[in-house]
Amino acid sequence: MATLTLYIQYIVNGLTLGAIYSLIALGYTMVYGILKFINFAHGDILMVGAFIGLVVYQALLGTSASPVWMVAAFFIAMIVSMVLCALLGMFIERVAYKPLRNANRLAPLLSAIGVSFILSNGAAWIFGTQSRRFPYPFDNTPITFFGISITPHQILMLVVSISMMLLLAFFVNKTKMGKAMRATSLDQPTSALMGINVNRVISLTFAIGSALAAVGGILAAFDFRVYPSMGTMTGLKAFVAAVIGGIGSIPGAMIGGILLGILEAVGAPLLHIPNGLKDTVAFAVLIIVLLLRPEGILGKNEREKV
Amino acid sequence: MINFFMLILIYSGVYALMAIGQNCITGSTGMLSLCHAGFFCIGSYVTAIMCKMFGISFWLSLPVAALAAGFVGFLIGVPTLRLKGDYLCIATLGLGEIIRNIATNINPVGITSIPRASLFGYQFSSRNKGAFIILIWVFVLIFYILFQQLAHSRLGRAMNAIREDEVAAQSNGINVTKYKISSFVLGAAIGGIAGSFQTAYTLTVSPSSYTFMVSVMVLCTVVLGGMGNAKAVILGAFIIQFISYFQQLTGLTNIIPPQANQMIFGLILVVMMIWRPQGLLGRDKYRYGDPRTFKEKLLAVAKRKGGER
Amino acid sequence: MRKAVILFLVALFAVTGVYAGGASENSDVYKIGFIGPLTGDNANYGIRCSNAARLAIDQINAEGGINGKQLQLIAENSEGTVERALSSYEKLAYTDEVCAIIGPVFTGPALAVAQRCQEDGIVMISPSATHKDVTAQPIANDDGLNYVFRTVPSDALQSDVAAHYFYEVLGYRRLASLYAMNDYSQGLANGMAETFTSLGGEIVASETCMVGDKDFRTQLTQIRAADPEAIYIPNYTVEDAQILEQASQLGITVPFLSSDGFSDPEIYNLAPDFTDGVIYVGPAQATASSILTDFQAAYAAAYNGDAPDSFATNSYDATYIIAAAIERAGSADPKAIRDEVAATKDFEGANGIINFAANGDLVASQGVYEVDGITPVYVGAFQVVDNHIVQVD
Repeated sequence: MATLTLYIQYIVNGLTLGAIYSLIALGYTMVYGILKFINFAHGDILMVGAFIGLVVYQALLGTSASPVWMVAAFFIAMIVSMVLCALLGMFIERVAYKPLRNANRLAPLLSAIGVSFILSNGAAWIFGTQSRRFPYPFDNTPITFFGISITPHQILMLVVSISMMLLLAFFVNKTKMGKAMRATSLDQPTSALMGINVNRVISLTFAIGSALAAVGGILAAFDFRVYPSMGTMTGLKAFVAAVIGGIGSIPGAMIGGILLGILEAVGAPLLHIPNGLKDTVAFAVLIIVLLLRPEGILGKNEREKV
Repeated sequence: MINFFMLILIYSGVYALMAIGQNCITGSTGMLSLCHAGFFCIGSYVTAIMCKMFGISFWLSLPVAALAAGFVGFLIGVPTLRLKGDYLCIATLGLGEIIRNIATNINPVGITSIPRASLFGYQFSSRNKGAFIILIWVFVLIFYILFQQLAHSRLGRAMNAIREDEVAAQSNGINVTKYKISSFVLGAAIGGIAGSFQTAYTLTVSPSSYTFMVSVMVLCTVVLGGMGNAKAVILGAFIIQFISYFQQLTGLTNIIPPQANQMIFGLILVVMMIWRPQGLLGRDKYRYGDPRTFKEKLLAVAKRKGGER
Repeated sequence: MRKAVILFLVALFAVTGVYAGGASENSDVYKIGFIGPLTGDNANYGIRCSNAARLAIDQINAEGGINGKQLQLIAENSEGTVERALSSYEKLAYTDEVCAIIGPVFTGPALAVAQRCQEDGIVMISPSATHKDVTAQPIANDDGLNYVFRTVPSDALQSDVAAHYFYEVLGYRRLASLYAMNDYSQGLANGMAETFTSLGGEIVASETCMVGDKDFRTQLTQIRAADPEAIYIPNYTVEDAQILEQASQLGITVPFLSSDGFSDPEIYNLAPDFTDGVIYVGPAQATASSILTDFQAAYAAAYNGDAPDSFATNSYDATYIIAAAIERAGSADPKAIRDEVAATKDFEGANGIINFAANGDLVASQGVYEVDGITPVYVGAFQVVDNHIVQVD
């Protein structure tokens, strides 16, 4: 029984970690779906989002510390951060990726690595490299039942991730713009011939992806603190999650993220290896998934055209 | 000043070796691999363990490092090379992280106080760097020549064909898997040799040195110089290391923030990709029929002489 | 394009040349090098140490310098990595030709640089590298003399006192430890565990994490299941802050024990709500001495009210020890300076009376602190004598 409680606790811990991965993975998956390239800078947009959120939140908070104002300030900070990150994402696409749309597939990937360097080091230059605390705007006392603890923040993360995924799925599948997105992802030249403004669709994709990264960044910031390299490893893991779930698929990103989170939390104790090796477990799973099912759990198997 | 410039030359040599290896994988065969830090790590550790724990000479450890890294390249290559493009990139990235993660968990301190290498009784030292610079650049030259020979051999042509069009290459009877693995193993082995030299100079290996950043830097080096051009990647290695250590070279550590270098690397990548994706020097142009290998050149000279006669 | 490349390279060299010309040799100063992380995730330690060294040098220069010459601090950024520390060392040793080096701050870089200092015969005093092997590097110079010193106690000493204090004074029998896989944390955790079990205690859970990890819930859940009486977390502040907060979220109420890494006030910025009750072992405080309080006041005045950590205090002392050695040696000769550093006897520093053992280790007792809210309260200085802990003052 005690072991069962233990494992439920691991899974609860993993679920919330996975929720963050899923939220970030959504951005990777959207961009990959349309442009077929890994936006390495996505993790750093998350970091920028967290910094903007922190700065705005602290500025708004000022001297007033009434609980209502704290929550309000938090939401304002989140919206400001989402808007600014969306603009940043669109700007980066315009400057660093758009000129490379017809280049070979290596080019945008390397350009993205370049953007990632510029963002994370720029932040280190401006803000310094130390970690900063993002104070909770609400009471974060854990709730415990049957020996299992969960914090309100963890619940919030789960709720936000799942609702974001549902919203995005609705947007992509049910709206006109979403239809244009799906068309663009299937065939760019044909979509353009059908009267779809491909440039606008791509811009919008980056805007949405970056706004989601900002949300992910701020939610992660409570738990992970805010520092310039926070996007690197988190972004990498989120990308792994997107690949495991099946890159290009929105529910896939969700499932991949949750799965990776749980694997990281449960893997080491289950295999009776030191917890220091949990990254090895995560990456080993990635490689195994890639070998057995390169298109990921929910991905479509695309045959190479000759 | 001069002494520090010599240090940059040494590190450039190490990175030039790594870049030649990466170039073999990415430039020639067109596979985007991001685990050169892993091969570098294995080479370093092999030399460190052999020299420190078993007291074996550096020179014996050098081929073992190459073999070990090549073997790991083979182990990684066989299953993952079925993957294409970005998937291969992610799988290799994961493997690089696994190697570092395991090394850290075995011993986070790494290995220190590794005995210095010597040659014919001459012991290399870090105060007088001249000898070590000659040593490493001789190796860079050897691998440069080997690579040039290789690029115009049957193997090199097969690699180029795979890069240009894998399906077409296969339909022309090229054993794609075989050549991909050969290219991967070769690239890994050169990475291992680079690691071996790094250890011989720094006398310390620490698992924290073999991060994902190293792999990216090596890739950056190849891209900056020009993919598929060995001369160019050597130039790239020098430029990257020069920028890396610019502040310390000029004594401006407290004036130029350390982030500036990394931002410049980022800028280089973006700008190069947009305006000059082929790199500074571009791909090595080869007109069919031009003599390139030693054998061909000798034949050409002989032919010309024959014509004169 | 080729021309452009060549032009670019020529321009680079020209720029370098101009700077090289500008950095003219100045023999009217004694140069002292500093190596430490000024950027990176754990830069807080390096920045405070370099600030303290700079403060000491400014103070000495304001009083007319040493032997009529001014001191100059040349601080190099190691970014916390071995490569950068080595290149920093090469720059300091061969280009600047410094008299002595303060640092490196972290153990990994310190191990690498110590070896080179021993070979080249340059005095190195680390204010913070605690690993027991730092002062155990082979002496490879022609004189056969030791050039590596430190003003921080070896972790062998610290973990010994920690284990005895936890077992004998606090009365714990079942401890858990959660440490990062780096030389500093692993050294302390293993050392403490060894002594603690030899005393008859039991380590019920020994969990590891990686530097840079942010999620410690799995480890803490495992520790919670093992039901220890207290948890030992000998890590850097960033990891400790996360551990404390996440432990409270998992409903862990047992006390936390930590090491000198905890003395950095950064912890109270990162986890102010969770530091209450933490007991940590750090350097002993000097009693009845105004040097420490003067230093703290001067540091706060010079750096916008920031508070120095224990390593910064060590760095301040190291700078004064080097300055005193240069003064006695009367020259910038590295060997003469080494002899004088080694001959340091009962040096009165901010951390109390400082003496070096033959291998360069600090002869010191350890201090124990208990955090009340966000203020560390000094419990006292302790030593292990005949396998028993003794309070010194």
